[in-house]
Amino acid sequence: MQVIPSICTFCGVGCGLGLRVEGGRVVGVEPQPGHPVSAGQLCAKGWASGFAIDAGNRLRTPLIKEHGQFREAGWDEALALVASEFRAALEAVGPDGVGVISCAHATNEDNYAAQKFARAVLGTANIDHCARICHSPSVAGLGRSLGSGAMTNSIADIDEAELILVIGADVSENHAMIGARMLRAQARGARLIVVDPRRTRLARLADQHVQLRVGSNIALLNGLLHIIFANGWEDRAFLAFRCANEAALRAHVRALTPELTSAQTGVPVLALYELARAYSQARRAFIAYGMGITQFQSGTHNVIAVANLALACGQLGRPGTGVNPLRGQNNVQGACDMGCLPDVYPGYQKVSDPEVREKFARAWGVAQPPAPGLTSLGMSEAALRGEFRALMVLGEELVVTDPDQHKLARALQALDFLVVVELTLSETARFADVVLPAASFAEKDGTFSNCERRMQLLHKAIEPPGQARADWQILAALAERMGYAGMRWASAEEVFAEMAALAPPFSAISHARLEQAGGLQWPCDEAHPDGTAILHRHCFPRGRAQLIPVSQVEPDECPDADYPFCLTTQRLHFHYGGGAMTRKSPLLEREIPAGLLFIHPQDAARLGLGEAQGVRVASRRGALETRAHLTDDVPPGTVSMPYHFREAPCNRLTNSAQDPISHMPELKACAVALLPLPPGQAPRIELERPQEAEYAGL
Amino acid sequence: MIDLTPRPLRLLEFYEDGEAARHFSFAVEPLAGEPAAQPGQFFMLAVPGVGEAAFTYVSPPDAEGRFSALIRRTGTLTAALFALAPGAVLGYRGPFGRGWPAAGPGERLLLVAGGCGLAPLAGVIDSAAGELQLIYAARNRAYQVLARERARWHERHALVETLDQGDDGRPQGHPLEALARVLDEDGLPAKVLCCGPEPLMLAVARGCIDHGLPASRIWLSLERRMHCGVGLCGHCYIGSSYACVDGPSYRYDEYLRLLAASGQAAATALPPQPC
Amino acid sequence: MQAYELDSPERLRNHLARERLLYQPQADGQGALRWQRLDDPAQPFVVPAEPPVFSAKAFFFAEREALFRYENGRFIALVPEARPQVLFGLAACDLTAVAYQDRFFAVDPHYQARRAATLLVGLDCAHSCRHGFCAMMDSGPEVRAQTADLILCPLAQRWLLLVASERGAEVLAGLALQPAPADWAQQRDAQALQVAVEQGEQEEIALGCAALNGETVDSQAWEALGLRCLGCSGCTSVCPTCSCFAPLQQPSAGGVVQERVWDSCLYQGFQQEASGHNPGATPGQRVQRFWYHKFGEDFRQRFGRDGCVGCGRCDAVCPGGIGVHQVMKRIGEP
Repeated sequence: MQVIPSICTFCGVGCGLGLRVEGGRVVGVEPQPGHPVSAGQLCAKGWASGFAIDAGNRLRTPLIKEHGQFREAGWDEALALVASEFRAALEAVGPDGVGVISCAHATNEDNYAAQKFARAVLGTANIDHCARICHSPSVAGLGRSLGSGAMTNSIADIDEAELILVIGADVSENHAMIGARMLRAQARGARLIVVDPRRTRLARLADQHVQLRVGSNIALLNGLLHIIFANGWEDRAFLAFRCANEAALRAHVRALTPELTSAQTGVPVLALYELARAYSQARRAFIAYGMGITQFQSGTHNVIAVANLALACGQLGRPGTGVNPLRGQNNVQGACDMGCLPDVYPGYQKVSDPEVREKFARAWGVAQPPAPGLTSLGMSEAALRGEFRALMVLGEELVVTDPDQHKLARALQALDFLVVVELTLSETARFADVVLPAASFAEKDGTFSNCERRMQLLHKAIEPPGQARADWQILAALAERMGYAGMRWASAEEVFAEMAALAPPFSAISHARLEQAGGLQWPCDEAHPDGTAILHRHCFPRGRAQLIPVSQVEPDECPDADYPFCLTTQRLHFHYGGGAMTRKSPLLEREIPAGLLFIHPQDAARLGLGEAQGVRVASRRGALETRAHLTDDVPPGTVSMPYHFREAPCNRLTNSAQDPISHMPELKACAVALLPLPPGQAPRIELERPQEAEYAGL
Repeated sequence: MIDLTPRPLRLLEFYEDGEAARHFSFAVEPLAGEPAAQPGQFFMLAVPGVGEAAFTYVSPPDAEGRFSALIRRTGTLTAALFALAPGAVLGYRGPFGRGWPAAGPGERLLLVAGGCGLAPLAGVIDSAAGELQLIYAARNRAYQVLARERARWHERHALVETLDQGDDGRPQGHPLEALARVLDEDGLPAKVLCCGPEPLMLAVARGCIDHGLPASRIWLSLERRMHCGVGLCGHCYIGSSYACVDGPSYRYDEYLRLLAASGQAAATALPPQPC
Repeated sequence: MQAYELDSPERLRNHLARERLLYQPQADGQGALRWQRLDDPAQPFVVPAEPPVFSAKAFFFAEREALFRYENGRFIALVPEARPQVLFGLAACDLTAVAYQDRFFAVDPHYQARRAATLLVGLDCAHSCRHGFCAMMDSGPEVRAQTADLILCPLAQRWLLLVASERGAEVLAGLALQPAPADWAQQRDAQALQVAVEQGEQEEIALGCAALNGETVDSQAWEALGLRCLGCSGCTSVCPTCSCFAPLQQPSAGGVVQERVWDSCLYQGFQQEASGHNPGATPGQRVQRFWYHKFGEDFRQRFGRDGCVGCGRCDAVCPGGIGVHQVMKRIGEP
């Protein structure tokens, strides 16, 4: 028995843990006392890490699909096939018709390798990852308002805050150690306010729960600004010296009276005043937000509206303040940092800047694509149009987590070639022509960046099963086979060193320096050799912050006579993403039936729907059957589903209407109709799978 | 030391015996010196690759190790069991737990069963020497189990059957009314043994007490999730006791004391499915 | 009890490590103290200021234990290969917990195979840890008789080595030792008293315990605590006396392996039955059950002592802020 320090592979909080290794497998974990984020605690998912990577159903060799059936293959054969298929696609349609979807679950080194493979080997700008469907509006919105898209402050700032405002985030379930810290702060006297259409656990424990109507964030935030300006509660000095465009913002919210805001949001006028006063008058107020802000067609504007509120009240650049997006995946921050986005290179260097392109062309020895590429949804739309032919997906479960499942499945089937790099035969991998076995976080060295920009080191604790390899090794081998010699790294440390030399915000970080407890927070460069806990202390990257007036946008699809309920989506404490890892725990799998619809008892009574009764849920895009759970967590008229279950995939129902700026799909709101199944009739499970895609060896 | 490894068990045959329920015959190699299974005890049945679950005997293992069990399909393990053909190899551990109390000489027993709860009482009925009355409640006729046994018992014992939904869709009798009638007409039995959904058992116990029967003469067979069968895994707790070793048969006064001491009230919620 | 003077704990440790795997609490460089195998005899032995993250539980009641394998119609028992090992530097609370589990798992072959191969070297605490209240729970601060083979007692300038079992005496063969001065017992008692004083009266534990057994806590109070329980399983994992497990079927090269894995009674699914019936349906009921198991009078009668040994690990590990001190304080409030 040995215990190897590591970082949790689930959400973006980045908790420290020790992997308990016995007989070449991870039998369990211990928490990490003294860790700057998790302080010796873990959530249910973290505690189940050992099960998540268990060898039981892991892929051990590459798989090649022939006549709809997978067969085992060696690396040579599989890589040769992948290389020739990409070459064929490149010859047929050029670099715009191929792409890579990288992985927010993988290390920074894997992600650096993924975007380099796309840009230097395939010569395409089509590189993206699932930040598209979680925090692409944060990158876009905070970039426009503040000049940087990451959490402005640190998780430890919660300890300093006098007021904590949570908007659209189910923190105690999804970022449990941040939720725990918020509750500890509340116990010490901080005021905790939760803005959420759902009555979450944190909302129940909060000092104030502002239960707004789904999709009325901008109306609420503008309405608060109106009250703040009308009462002179704004921070005049901060506005005068640190912000631009104040007059326009004032003018924009002038007509948005509390009564109007109340009508738009469903929040009582008194509660609006209470919230506006509390936030603006707190000495240190910390905003945390999640996908209740971003997953709307107005996602970028929602983020800007949050930034406007914080700027007007001067709640930025100091301890205990800030605008803090809570990132979903353990390394979604890192995947963004590494440039797995179609418009930026590592370190957020813009593709649209010719000097940046020239810099990378020189460093990599390959001419760079001239313009930003397609987003992940852009790639699937291009595939449906026949313009996009070959795709590599690293570790993302698109079939379960992307909107409009039927459409996505059609897009995957429209491709000439799909290669998926995965731990197990995921739902997405079943659509692939080639599946390559990947090493899990415990089976490789590398780094993760948590949501507070903290890079932390992972150590290889066990050998990967069978022939599985780290993503960066797979990509390097493929690059070699495609005639590119610039990815011959001997170690993850070398990958990191190459990256840090090209990306200024990380220039003073190395694996050796990350050996220190707690890692380092970027920007970490010559000017900030020990990293940066709080951004924007003295100025914003763009000088002054921009106050950008934005207006309320209703969801693309609102309830109507045919589809009378608003469906929103959520996560559960016990599961993560498409469930491929957490559902391997017999304990977590036992907690929740595979699929649930949360519905208010009043609505259920009106429909004649009982607890645990089957129900058919239909939207304009698809239908599924699942079981009802009656709860006043959701308000009447709104129903909610978790997205973890392939058996009841809420993303068969969701809308792919997109934010025009970030191309974030509107996952948080669509219209559905409900039809109770006869009592005693079990829900029918229809998996979204290609025909005959079974692999007998698994 | 206990042995947590099952012994091979052969599925001999089965027949349909109630909706989604089958009457299975099994055979296990008898062990020398093995204690005979008592009515109300249970065994752990292992379905290889799926898991283990607890079931009671309808007839206990005979000298050749043959026994039968009534099993309703409710989850993944029973679904896997129902997919097997005679001859299949399963696993067996047991007998476990505390069965029903023996009837003293000349003692009259009153048995009340709901749904599949008839199965653990079958051994009591078949081995009864003295007088015995049985009330059997079920959701509807299709849900009734142990048809062959009931036909046999009808000849020897007073057997009242009630249905939540009779053949005409209306209730046919009611277990609590039947109980009251038996207690009123025949007086108090020496013991009441009850097995079925927990709310039914609690209602029966209260009905008996209302008629003046002391709680110490009422026995319930409690169902709990069980994994080990030997008092270690912790799942089947009732207060400070473990149903797999201290039960599943509990004397009602002891059951109430356990719950009271642990600060938990007796379950009152209705079951999700009627018996 | 035979008592010796010891110049350095490392000398004893390295003596014991010659023929056994030796585990001791070691700093991991990231802020945690963990039980690790001693690979380098030059590694110093550092007296822990706080308990290691895990107790000794996992050494005997493994978090994942293969029970049997099913292969070609046969069930093959899998009892662990127990190599001789020594746990060096166990605190009194953790040793009390080992004794408690020895009794609970008395007939469990897997537990006992590991346990029988293990030598326990206890370590008296010279200072209280942050959350500990072992003095009140009658499990420390000095190592209790019958719970260890050898006991180390750090005094101001030197170490005492106490022989606490026959096996403890046997393993000292070949190690040159001087008898301890006559007043060693008084010095040890005085130190223990000092630690107990550091821990204070622990009034909230006493009041909470009384409320728990006096049945004066209403279900609403438990549900309020239950709302803060995330069901993470942290408390049951770090608790040195928690012993619940669940089955797990694992496909393996040679058939199917039946494992047992640590479970937690705080999970909603812990008692959920296939029919949907759940005797422990609400979070408050489950939280109540957990604490009743640790402090309930019925359990105390059944297992000869309280289930809680006062190590305070649940205080540190609970993300809901409902470790033992917070819970006892809330339920003990009038």
